Amino acid sequence: MKDLLREALDAALGAGATYADARGGEYLSEALSVRGPTVESLDRTESIGFGVRVLAEGAWGFASSAVLTSDEAKHLGATAVEVAKASATAINERVELVPEPVHVAEWSSPVVRDPFDIPLEDKVSLLAGATESMERNEAVRVGRGTMDFIRQRTAFLSSEGSDITQTVVHSGAGIEATSVRDGEVQTRSYPGSFRGHFAAAGYELVESMDLAGHADRIADEAVALLSAPECPSTVTTVVLDGHQVMLQVHESVGHPTELDRVLGMEAAFAGTSFVGIPDLNGLRYGSDRMNITADATIPGGLGSYAFDDEGVEGQRVDLVKEGILVGFQSSRETAARMGADRSNGTMRAEGWEHFPLIRMTNINLLPGEGSLEDLLADVDDGIYMSTNKSWSIDDKRKNFQFGCEIAWEIKNGKLGRMLKDPRYTGITPVFWGGLDAVAGKDEWQVWGTPNCGKGQPGQTMRVGHGTAPARFRNVSTGTAQ
Amino acid sequence: MSVLSRSGLPLDHDDARRAAQGVLDFPGSEGVEVVVSASSSGITRYANSQIIQNTVRNEIRATVRVVTGDRSASATTTQLDEEHLVMAAGRALEAAKASLPDPDFPGLPTPGDVGRPEPVMRVDEATGATPPAARAEAVGRILAATGSDNTAGIYETGVHSYGVFSSAGIDCFDAFSRCNTTCLVDLGGATGWGEASSYAAAEVDEEAAALRARRKAERSHNAMDVDSGTYQVVLEPPAVAALVDYLAYMGFGAKQMIEGESFFSTRRGEKVAADSITITDDVRHPASVGIGFDFEGVPKQRVAVIDGGEATHPVTDLRTARKLGVPATGHFSGSNEFGPYPFNVVMEAGDTELDELIGGVDDGILVTRFHYVNILDRPATLLTGMTRDGTFRISKGEVAEPVHNFRFAQSVLDALSSVQAVGREVVSIAPDYSSFGSTVAPALRVGKFHFASTTSH
Repeated sequence: MKDLLREALDAALGAGATYADARGGEYLSEALSVRGPTVESLDRTESIGFGVRVLAEGAWGFASSAVLTSDEAKHLGATAVEVAKASATAINERVELVPEPVHVAEWSSPVVRDPFDIPLEDKVSLLAGATESMERNEAVRVGRGTMDFIRQRTAFLSSEGSDITQTVVHSGAGIEATSVRDGEVQTRSYPGSFRGHFAAAGYELVESMDLAGHADRIADEAVALLSAPECPSTVTTVVLDGHQVMLQVHESVGHPTELDRVLGMEAAFAGTSFVGIPDLNGLRYGSDRMNITADATIPGGLGSYAFDDEGVEGQRVDLVKEGILVGFQSSRETAARMGADRSNGTMRAEGWEHFPLIRMTNINLLPGEGSLEDLLADVDDGIYMSTNKSWSIDDKRKNFQFGCEIAWEIKNGKLGRMLKDPRYTGITPVFWGGLDAVAGKDEWQVWGTPNCGKGQPGQTMRVGHGTAPARFRNVSTGTAQ
Repeated sequence: MSVLSRSGLPLDHDDARRAAQGVLDFPGSEGVEVVVSASSSGITRYANSQIIQNTVRNEIRATVRVVTGDRSASATTTQLDEEHLVMAAGRALEAAKASLPDPDFPGLPTPGDVGRPEPVMRVDEATGATPPAARAEAVGRILAATGSDNTAGIYETGVHSYGVFSSAGIDCFDAFSRCNTTCLVDLGGATGWGEASSYAAAEVDEEAAALRARRKAERSHNAMDVDSGTYQVVLEPPAVAALVDYLAYMGFGAKQMIEGESFFSTRRGEKVAADSITITDDVRHPASVGIGFDFEGVPKQRVAVIDGGEATHPVTDLRTARKLGVPATGHFSGSNEFGPYPFNVVMEAGDTELDELIGGVDDGILVTRFHYVNILDRPATLLTGMTRDGTFRISKGEVAEPVHNFRFAQSVLDALSSVQAVGREVVSIAPDYSSFGSTVAPALRVGKFHFASTTSH
């Protein structure tokens, strides 16, 4: 692959590129879905190809192909320059890149048990044990279990001399039970919704979940939700579990602090941001309990890596410190536009065929102190919500409505009745201003979100979020009808 | 710059068939199906009134499904040579053997069972061969038309080929081209939107879309706060398309009905919308962009899912059709986990001009488009989302002052039940996240539409 990348780089430079990088990838994935006693789908995918990104006449061009020949490499390099020169006819500001040291490196994410070495029969058997158990509950309509494994080997060469090879393995699994009665549908999942929990790890992650051991509980809860009272529409104290805090961080902090959004580059599709560069080091984003980092260096996150897809070292940076906005997620281009010295290394592409974009690394709400029980103990009257179910937020990431699978009343510091269809709404800085406690390190976990969408053509990225349960005061719950 | 064959396609029928035939008799299998797709596309993104990203992609993909007994599994590769296809077939066979008995597996279809599809072949060669310079020129025309220093959007062209081949005799091929443009104009926080899409670039008037966006932005200055609540609304085609797409996702597939998650599960045969509402899946509608068969090679039927307001038929694939005891409509999505899906939804046009739709509103809201729609309650078809890029008060039949954006919380079927008039013009909307499929929608005047809250812009 690297020979092709070199040929593509040489062709691009020969055609007039002032900067070029070439990225090749071999992606292997396996997706398994079991429903009750039946394998619903079992798909294995390999994707091999390469792309060339160039700057010429101050503008970007990119071309990609799955044809792995020397002629195609030369053609791609020249094509990317042709595209860049076309771009240059409609620019009013030349692209400048902040400097980055040259890196020559190899890196692999840690894996104990390579998921692609595990017999398929074992994976099917593990899931079927859980799904059959769920469907033994006669009130459960669908018991479904999924596993997903991805191994990506990427090679990156740049005209500045960087030469980076990385191998990343991501694994994920989960189960969900769906109950139906009189046109009403309720779902419970474990360890998280939307295909479960993901991490940069091997099959050991799946084994640690004990999916079968949680099957009966979530089946029972899915059925019990059908008879539970609705979550009330009120203003109250809300405690969110770590999974829902993950979604809250993702939507209302992760996306608004992406510098391409801040600079208007995603305006027509994903939207912009309610924060701007002048807000840096001044805007109060939330209470002083709010500390958020973007950290590609922690082990095990879906946003953990040594180098991003433009060859910048993965880093740990503060985004919000004691409630004040102090940083953005940046690229070499956007860092230059805001006058920073260095990109903080967040450019990633879904595959070899994509132009890299600013994507969340692991966006983390740093832990506070105490346990979930401690958070609940300080609530006389409130609601505890668990496991994300739905999300919607406006184009500036300000007005949001999020929903969870299940909730319980909190009365005098203890959990009470189960509640169904819990939802809450808020305005981002007002909501985070109500944060008055985050649970401690023992409750803190790096969750994985495998389905973050952005860009045109659309790219789906796997990102991480370290979170613990957190408590928010004066939250509007329910859905105004 | 072109990788297109003499046919003007990234892959023609003969090449696709030749690649697939190498594995149709794969040793150890009892049946093999190969779905081949190829595309050649370019997308030019602009923001802050300049081109910011510009990409050219040439992609090939082959998915090999292998059958052994009542078990099957699939493997996909991006390499179309025999070595990689044989490896894919081997991986699929290994996976199928590791699978569990599947008593609902319908087997691979034969042409005798399902017929042979007529290709749609809505291909415009010039669109498929559009060079980067021509896309940049189109963006230049858009920027000139808006005259703004803060315009953003895309101009995209491409051509896409699909073939399905099987050891059971399926041999079908189709292709389409597409040109799609979007335009957002931001005049200091006052935003407007325009878009256009067709199989042929010559039919896409990007300057007209840009001017629509500019006019809406100009009218959006000094937006007012308006109370949330239930309003009579006029929804323009992009807003209608967003609702209809989610309605189809939530409930038009037979699998969702069988599993009890669709409105069809409890309301089939009932009136679920106004008499004026007919929603079909119809790839052969003049404004649709797609192919004439599904990913099992079954000919795609026109299905009136909601016909004159009545919930009639969900779309099916072979598996769900067998369960329901009905013929397959040709809507296999490519995923057994998801089941059948309508990729070419069409809401039929009415007979009312947009001005008349607005003219019939004494006090209401005009919505240009929605943003970040998501599901709150699937069987109830309850959605939430935001308005965006042109939300106005309608007063005494005229578009009046701009208003701050709303968050809505609304059952789609309840909204469609209160439709008072349907627009005469239908618009083709390209999907956000894929090059496959289209949604065709008119504007609507809706009697009751609920906005739950407002935002500050």
